[in-house]
Amino acid sequence: MSMNVCYHCGDDIRGKAVVADSKQFCCTGCRGVYTLLKENQLDQFYALERNSGIKPTTTVEHKYAFLEVPSIRERYIEYEDANSARITLFLPQIHCSSCIYLLENLKKIHAGIVNCQVNFAKREASIVFHPSLIKLSELAQLLDSIGYAPNFGNRQESDRKQDKQYMYKLGVAGFAFGSIMLWSFPEYLGIEGDNPEFRNFTAYLSFLVSLPVLFYSASEYLVSAYKAIKFKSLNLDVPITIGIFALYIKSASTIFSGDGPGYMDSFAGFIFFLLIGKWFQNKTYKSLSFERDYTSYFPVAVTRLREEKEEIVEIEKLEKGDHLILRNEEVIPCDSILASEHASIDYSFVTGESTTIHKSKGDFIYAGGKLRGQRTVLIVDKETNRSHLTQLWNETKSSKPERTGFLYQDKLSHYFLIALFLVALVSAIAWFFIDSSRITEIVVAILIVACPCALALSAPFTFGNTMRKLGRQGLYLKNTLVIERLNEITDIVFDKTGTLTATNFHEVQYVGDPLSASDCHAIVAICQSSAHPHSKGIVQFLTEQVTIEHATVTAFIEQSGKGIQGVVNGKKWTIGSANFVSTHQLHTSETATYVAMDNHVIGRFIFTSKLREGIAPLIKRINSKYTLHVLSGDNNQDKGLLEQLIPLSSNIRFNQGPADKLEYIKELQTNGKKVLMIGDGLNDSVALETAHVGIAVSEDVFRFTPSSDAIIDANKLEQLDTLLTTAHYAKVVLKACLIFSLAYNTIGLSFAISGQLTPLVAAILMPISSISVVLISTMLVFLNKPSR
Amino acid sequence: MGMIYIMLIVSLLVALFFLVSFFWATKTGQFDDDYTPSVRILFEEETNQHINNQEDGSTKV
Repeated sequence: MSMNVCYHCGDDIRGKAVVADSKQFCCTGCRGVYTLLKENQLDQFYALERNSGIKPTTTVEHKYAFLEVPSIRERYIEYEDANSARITLFLPQIHCSSCIYLLENLKKIHAGIVNCQVNFAKREASIVFHPSLIKLSELAQLLDSIGYAPNFGNRQESDRKQDKQYMYKLGVAGFAFGSIMLWSFPEYLGIEGDNPEFRNFTAYLSFLVSLPVLFYSASEYLVSAYKAIKFKSLNLDVPITIGIFALYIKSASTIFSGDGPGYMDSFAGFIFFLLIGKWFQNKTYKSLSFERDYTSYFPVAVTRLREEKEEIVEIEKLEKGDHLILRNEEVIPCDSILASEHASIDYSFVTGESTTIHKSKGDFIYAGGKLRGQRTVLIVDKETNRSHLTQLWNETKSSKPERTGFLYQDKLSHYFLIALFLVALVSAIAWFFIDSSRITEIVVAILIVACPCALALSAPFTFGNTMRKLGRQGLYLKNTLVIERLNEITDIVFDKTGTLTATNFHEVQYVGDPLSASDCHAIVAICQSSAHPHSKGIVQFLTEQVTIEHATVTAFIEQSGKGIQGVVNGKKWTIGSANFVSTHQLHTSETATYVAMDNHVIGRFIFTSKLREGIAPLIKRINSKYTLHVLSGDNNQDKGLLEQLIPLSSNIRFNQGPADKLEYIKELQTNGKKVLMIGDGLNDSVALETAHVGIAVSEDVFRFTPSSDAIIDANKLEQLDTLLTTAHYAKVVLKACLIFSLAYNTIGLSFAISGQLTPLVAAILMPISSISVVLISTMLVFLNKPSR
Repeated sequence: MGMIYIMLIVSLLVALFFLVSFFWATKTGQFDDDYTPSVRILFEEETNQHINNQEDGSTKV
C-alpha cells in the first residue's frame, strides 16, 4: 500500500511515479514542494505526520497581483511600518500538526518573513513580514506554491466578542457559586446556630456576590423572558425567570431578616449550569462557513484594459463598457460580451453542466463561469451586483424563518406553566386549611423548585452532543436547530452532478479502432503530462487494461480546455475535444475525448457519469422512508442510470436551472412536504436555502460551498441514512431527558408542597438534577451506535 | 474567632484574583486556540543542530 502512495500528499500514484531521493511522488508539484522543504531543512514536516502534504494546484500567474493595489492591500494589512507588516490570512488547507510546523517555519524558506503564528481552530496564520523583502502578492504566491492557497473571500467576522461574553458570564457565575457554597458550609453541617453574628456576615457576603450573577450572568434570560411576555408568547425562559425571581427574592428576604444565606448557593449554581448549557450548544464549527454571499465566490479584483494599459481594479468599481482581461481558470465576475474571437467557459459550478461551452465573438456571457484556455477580452455589460446570478441569489434570501428556540421546549413550557400554576393553587388551598400562615412560604417554595433547570439543560446538551457526533461522522451542522428540522423531513431531493455522481469521476469506455500495446504506451505517456481530469481518467483506464511501459514524449503541446499533442516514436498523437482533433463525427449527447494518430482520428474515449460509491445501496435503504427526487442540470444522458435507482421516474427532471430547482421545491412545499435538499454547486444554492434543510456536499469542507444548513463530506454521503438516524435518535434521547427532569421536578415539588423544602434540600437537589441530565444525554448520544 | 473573618476576606480576595486572571486570560485570547500550542511545543529548534552538522558532524554542547 505505502509503495503506491505519494510521499508528499498521500494520494495513490496512478501510472508512473515521479521520483526524488528514492521517494515516490504522484506529480511534479508534490516533488517540488518536497524539494523546497528539503532544501530549507524542513523535512521534519514528513516525520510529524505521514503523507500529510497538500498537492499544490497549478497556479495562475498574476493570481495575487490584485494584492498590490493600494486600496485592496489596505483592506488586509493589519499593521505596517517601514520594517514590518502584519497580516492574518485564512488558509483553509491547514489540517494537521505538520501544517503548523511548516507554516511556523516559513521564515526558513524566505528571509522576508519574520514570524508566522498559526491558529489551528480558525485555520488562520498571522504573518509578520518585511514589505521591502517580500511583496504581499509574493507572500500569497509562496503560500499557494506549498499548497496553502490563502482565501481572500469576504469572511464574516465570527462572533468572537459574543463568545467571550459567555466566558465572562460563566466566570462570574462560577466564582459566585463556589464562594457561596464555601460560606454555606456551616449550614450544610448543621452548625449554623453556633454563631449568629458570623452567620449574618457570610449571608451578607453571599448577597453581595450574588448581585452580579443576577444582573450580569442571568441578564439574557431575564431579557428574553421580558420580550416573550411583551409579545404575548411563551418560551422556556419564562418559567426559568419565574424560578430565578422566586429564588432570589426569597433568599434576599431571608438574608435581611437574619436567617442565614437562604438559597443563594442554589441560585448561583443554577445560573452557572444554565450558562454551561448555552455555551456548550453555541460551540460551533468556527472554521466552516455556512453563510456565503456571491462575493466570496467572485474574485476580489480583475484586470481592466484602459487606454492600452492593463490595470487591476476591484470588481465593485467596474462599469458598463469596461474591457476586462481574463486568463485561464479565472472566474467571470459580471455579465459581459465576448470581445475575443473564441472562448471556452466552464459553467459546471453554476449550472451543474459538466461540459465546457464554446462562445464566439459578440456572444453574451453570464457571470460565474470559469474561463478555460488563453487570455480573453470581455466587455462588461452589467455591473457585478446587477448580474443574473446575483439577482437570482438575492431574490430568495432569507426565505426560511429563523427560529431562536427549540420547538419542543417552547410547546412544553406552555403546559409546564399551566401545570405549575395549578399545583401552586391547589397547594395554597390545601395549606389554607392546614396552616394558613405558611401559604406564602409554600407557594414560593413550589415556584423555586419547579424552576426547570434540568429541563433547560436537556435540549442544549442532547443536541449539542448530537451535533458533535455528526461532525465526527462528516456532517457539519450550522446550529443545533437543524437537528430538529432534520426530524421532520418527508422528501429528499438530490442534485445529480457532484452529488449522486462525482464530478471528476467517470466510467471510461473506448470506441474506435483497436489500440495496440505500443499505442496505449504512447497515449498514457502523453496524457500523464496533463493534469486534466480526462487525461487522468484515460491513464487510469489504460493502466487497468495493459501493463504500461515507459515512452518518451517530444514536442508536447497542451492547449488548456482543448487538448494535448505530442510525438512518440515518430508518430504524432492528438488527444482532445472534437474541434481540437478536427473530426466531424460529433456525438453531442456524450462527453468524449477524441484520439488522432498523424491527424487521422482512430477513436474516442467516452466518459459517462459514475455514481459515487455506496450511493445505490444508500438509495435502496432510504427509499421506503422518504420520497426521493433527482434534479439534474445536465442533459438526459444518464436517464437510464437514474431510472434504475429512483422508483418514480416522474421525480427525475433534467435540464434544471437554478430557478427550475427552486420552483420544484416550492411546489413540494405547497403540498405540505418537508424537503431535504442535497446539492453541491452554486446552481443549487437557491434551492438549498429554500428547502426545509439544505445540505451542501463538499469534497473538501473548507473550500467554497453554497450557503446551507449543513455541509456533508462527500465521502460520507453514503452514510446519509445513518446520519439521519442519529438525528432521530437525538429526539428519543431528548424525550428521555425530559422525563428524567420532570421526575426531579416532581420529587422537588413533593418536598415543597409538604413544606419541607429547606435550603439544604434545594442545594442538593438542584446540582444533582442538572448534572445527571447532562450525563444521561451525553452517554445516550455517544454510546449509541445506530445499526442499519 | 476574629481570625475567621480575616481568613474569609483573604479567601474572597484569592477567589477574586483567580476571577480576574480568568478574565485576563479570556481577553488576551488564551482560550481561542487550544490545539496549536500543544503541537508547537514539540517542534525541535533544529537550526543550531544544523549548523553544527555542517561544520564537522560533531555536536557542540
